[in-house]
Amino acid sequence: MRKLSGIRRVLLPIGAAAVLALAACGSGDDGGSGTGSASPSAGGGGSKLMVIITPSPDNVFFKAEQDAAAAQAKQLGYETLVLSHDDDPTKQSQEIDTAISRKAAAIILDNAGADASVAAIQRAKDAGVPTFLIDREINKTGVAVAQIVSNNAQGAGLGGQEFAKLMGGKGEYAELTGKPTDTNAGVRSQGYHGVLDQYADMKMVAQQSANWDQAEALTKTQTILQAHPNIKGIIAGNDTMALGAFAAVQAAGKKIIVVGFDGSPDVVSSILKDGIKATVLQPASKIAEMAVDQADAYVKTGKTDQPEKQSVDCVLVNPDNAKSVTNFAVAGA
Amino acid sequence: MTETIAPAPAPTRPEPAGPRNPALARAALLLLQGRTLVVLVLLVAFFSAISSEYLTQSNLILMTKHVAINAILAIGVTFVILTGGIDLSVGSIAGLASMIAGGLLFTGLALPGGTLFFSVAVVILVGILVGALVGAVNGLLITRFRVAPFIATLGMLYVARGVGQLRSDGGTFPDLSGTPERGNQGFHVIGVDSWLGIPVAVWIMVVVAAAAVVVTTKTPFGRRVYSVGGNERAAVLSGIRVNRIKIAVYVISGCCAALAGLLLTSELGAAYPDTATTYELNAIAAAVLGGTALSGGRGTIIGTVMGAFVIGFLSDGLVLVGVSTFWQSVVKGAVIIFAVITEQAQQRLQSSLARRTA
Amino acid sequence: MSAEHLVARGMSKSYGGVRALKDVTFTAYRGKVNVLVGENGAGKSTLMKILSGAEQPTAGEILLDGEAVRLAGPRDAMARGIGIIHQELSLFPNLSIAENMFAGRELRQARRFVDGKEQRRRTRAVLRRLGQDRLDPDTLAGDLPIGQQQLVEIGRALLEDVRVLIMDEPTSALSNHEVDVLFEVMADLRAHDVTVIYISHKLDEFRRIGDHVTVLRDGSVVAHESMDRTDTGWIVRQMVGRDPDTLFTRNSSPTGDVLLEVRNLTVPGPVRPLVDDVSLTVRAGEVVGVYGLMGAGRTELVECLMGMRKASAGEVRIKSRVEREGTVRARLAAGLALVPEDRQRDGLVQTMSVRDNILLATIGRLTRAGLLRGGVEQRTAKSKVDELAIRMPGLAATVTALSGGNQQKVVLARALLTEPDVLLLDEPTRGIDVGAKGQIATLMAALAAEGFGVLFISSELAEVVAMADRVLVMARGRVTAEFTAANVTEEALVAASASDSVLEAS
Repeated sequence: MRKLSGIRRVLLPIGAAAVLALAACGSGDDGGSGTGSASPSAGGGGSKLMVIITPSPDNVFFKAEQDAAAAQAKQLGYETLVLSHDDDPTKQSQEIDTAISRKAAAIILDNAGADASVAAIQRAKDAGVPTFLIDREINKTGVAVAQIVSNNAQGAGLGGQEFAKLMGGKGEYAELTGKPTDTNAGVRSQGYHGVLDQYADMKMVAQQSANWDQAEALTKTQTILQAHPNIKGIIAGNDTMALGAFAAVQAAGKKIIVVGFDGSPDVVSSILKDGIKATVLQPASKIAEMAVDQADAYVKTGKTDQPEKQSVDCVLVNPDNAKSVTNFAVAGA
Repeated sequence: MTETIAPAPAPTRPEPAGPRNPALARAALLLLQGRTLVVLVLLVAFFSAISSEYLTQSNLILMTKHVAINAILAIGVTFVILTGGIDLSVGSIAGLASMIAGGLLFTGLALPGGTLFFSVAVVILVGILVGALVGAVNGLLITRFRVAPFIATLGMLYVARGVGQLRSDGGTFPDLSGTPERGNQGFHVIGVDSWLGIPVAVWIMVVVAAAAVVVTTKTPFGRRVYSVGGNERAAVLSGIRVNRIKIAVYVISGCCAALAGLLLTSELGAAYPDTATTYELNAIAAAVLGGTALSGGRGTIIGTVMGAFVIGFLSDGLVLVGVSTFWQSVVKGAVIIFAVITEQAQQRLQSSLARRTA
Repeated sequence: MSAEHLVARGMSKSYGGVRALKDVTFTAYRGKVNVLVGENGAGKSTLMKILSGAEQPTAGEILLDGEAVRLAGPRDAMARGIGIIHQELSLFPNLSIAENMFAGRELRQARRFVDGKEQRRRTRAVLRRLGQDRLDPDTLAGDLPIGQQQLVEIGRALLEDVRVLIMDEPTSALSNHEVDVLFEVMADLRAHDVTVIYISHKLDEFRRIGDHVTVLRDGSVVAHESMDRTDTGWIVRQMVGRDPDTLFTRNSSPTGDVLLEVRNLTVPGPVRPLVDDVSLTVRAGEVVGVYGLMGAGRTELVECLMGMRKASAGEVRIKSRVEREGTVRARLAAGLALVPEDRQRDGLVQTMSVRDNILLATIGRLTRAGLLRGGVEQRTAKSKVDELAIRMPGLAATVTALSGGNQQKVVLARALLTEPDVLLLDEPTRGIDVGAKGQIATLMAALAAEGFGVLFISSELAEVVAMADRVLVMARGRVTAEFTAANVTEEALVAASASDSVLEAS
């Protein structure tokens, strides 16, 4: 009996997942899309399907992005198909093919690689499916209709300034960088250093990649603290790494300034509890909504009235304004 | 008594010649057998020379704590590999146990009558049971449905990871400290706290390793595990219920994986679905580094623990002296390959020495 | 051109501690069928492997057309015109006949693509030569009956320009008609000056086709004669050699109760039952031999008795109790123990020590509070080692360090520790040297004297005749004859085991 129930417990979620997947397909299916007309100028007469592709919703940031885009699209009367490419360009390419074959009206995409994504987006364009990029840019213009990103450089500048202020402009610090192959990891690190390197008394004693991962940030921070016991601050390339670093700091029983990037709810609540000192909020929800709005305009009118490259400024979150932050948006900002 | 008048067989000496210099060969063999220890000593010496912070009491304790997670995973995997199987799902099982335990602590168990919270002890027990259950499914797939271990556990790698993600809809359970009203405080004990100056996680590793050593060397079960991996048909003919042994080792592996996942989660103070992703490879690497043969039947728990120490002390050392991530990968991979090459050399030397003494 | 085509001179070969060939000189004459006979383990296969390049001799040289050559491998041998057909089929069941014929040496078209058309054409020609005109070259080899598969195997060798063709018991799976076809092919080859080296157990068959006969015994050549100067009796005497009764100890214990009784046991097989309606009894103090050729169903019989194979019909009684549960554990508990035919595959755990191998089946009995007791383990293993006179470097040594005979005793020790009533021994003397064979025989007699029932399988005539109180002969899954020690003769055993005569009789 125990063996049986063991199987059942594992099978149930599989079944559930299968049903969910089927349901997702079903909901995106619009009975009358057989005409095949999905050219930009087709106006409202074409498909009413909006395909939203993001990295894994494991990360609350992408989850917020997905949810905001899907909600906005539904509000505008679109069916939605939400997919995740897990930062795998191959999987992303297959998903874009799905969107093409389903004759989607538009693709909202947080892409899986600045270079690796170009071909697939071009393929969609050639098939008459416009792509609206959010959060991350690609290394080519004229392929996607819009590239709406948060201004990582500006945000990192904000984070760097706040970190320097918290450190009092001097002392040893360490930096945790993101996945080395990710553009944003580099942009943010440069943004931090654009500010921090101006302070002669601030000394970076360790710089390690924790691959955006919480557990890796924990162990690496612990080791860094061993090597450099006098560290006063740690600046991390995103919030999950900041959380991992902060767990290490707590375990070591030290008072060390930790600053992150993203504005995730977990870090915001940590700020409210006087844990992590600050983070830089990326307006993920806002960007996603902007992209859906512009896609809608493009479907209806054939243009967006916006430049292709748009950047949305980030907002610094610290104990002063943390209360007003919900789901990657600052109330009133 | 014997009425044999057949000519006594000439005392035969094997022609496939043994090593030319047996004394030297024996010394080399000793070195190879203890190679994991040798490598470990070399590593410590090397990093101590570069950084004065490496060989300090606090850093040794910290590195050992980092080793604990992988060592516990690897001990479980060693049981499986000893039977000639493989368990690729341990990282995902650790993640699943983490999400189940994290969910119970953070959101509780939603029942029609309200939300139920459990004490930390119960939560830990449930987490480990989840590991046992997934392990049992692995075992059943492999024995009852005759799925190759590689495939069965590869499938489970995805299934368990996915179930963990479903548990939170992809999100993180950010705060596992519990509240007095819910009576579920204290999860940090296993991952954060220390006892007699040594982290609880390290004590747990010591207990698990000691238990595993006893089981593998001092119980009939352990002997049977080795025999199944050494020659399954011979084990069957000796009346050993091979399928039961196999299911048991996957259950052990699942329990160890779940325990490792819980320690990791406790230390982090948060449960997220990607916990312990790709840790299975580190665990297998530790076992192989420690001299466990992937073909089964050969290996020791002590060797595996040493292997975990080598991997952990190496990667922490590289971080400590500030080597880049890319080089860390290169060095780790090279060490594993080197380990397998020396393993082969040891086998060859051992059998050629054995032939001489036969 | 000299008459001596291929000569192996002064061949010696050792495996581990066993000397399989001792200074053997073998001559194959051009355009003749040179028969090589000997009991199992006499060294035929070893010699054949050396002649086909699969193994290197420890000492000795090979002369091809009077010239010393070194055969680096099967391909090298093939390049010199030496082909071999193995007893075990080496076809790829998932490939067609044509693809099998050209496996590893595919015909190329424009040096790149496989020329399937030409392959099929040449395959058809070879099949015609083998009298198999109706076979489609595109048929999957796995779909053919064993006899035709054997012919395909022969066809593979014919495709090459063979000058010397070695055939290892090619007829063991063939029907009468197929044997006739094969002999026609051999006559045809002989007419084309091809030298055939023919290894066989079947006296009547090779006497029909052979020109010269060489007899091997215990790794040495004992006789070499022109076929027309021999008769069946002479060959058997040469094969068996000395008076069998002096080599093997005969059991002389009084027999007691029936320990094992088998009724109408049948094990299903793919084509015909592997074990077909077999009944037998083994009494306490009795040594029962089962003689038969390879593939006669002997191994399947003991495997079924031991619970390793499922029976489709029949009944097994052990000490008068009907044993319904057909698992190894149940049969062990009921009082059976098997020493398997293939030590390496089914007997030994090669990664374990001598001690652990001996104790493997009974390890659960040596615990206190669930933990093993090292001292008891050591003593238990030591007592069996002494009892069976196992020679070894030490109890902790890996079992692979032992010689074949001592390895066999390790497996026997394990079986004896389970305290069985009936011991099943499958080819207990296979691959071990003469001295060890004698010891095993003595042991079996001693065990019978202690009240065990012993059922042993052998394909060595002399051994069966000398050791068994009763002999059952199996062929094609059936028991075809039963003899007592008083009335058994080697000729009668050979006759009863020849599968064809069985078919004709049934």
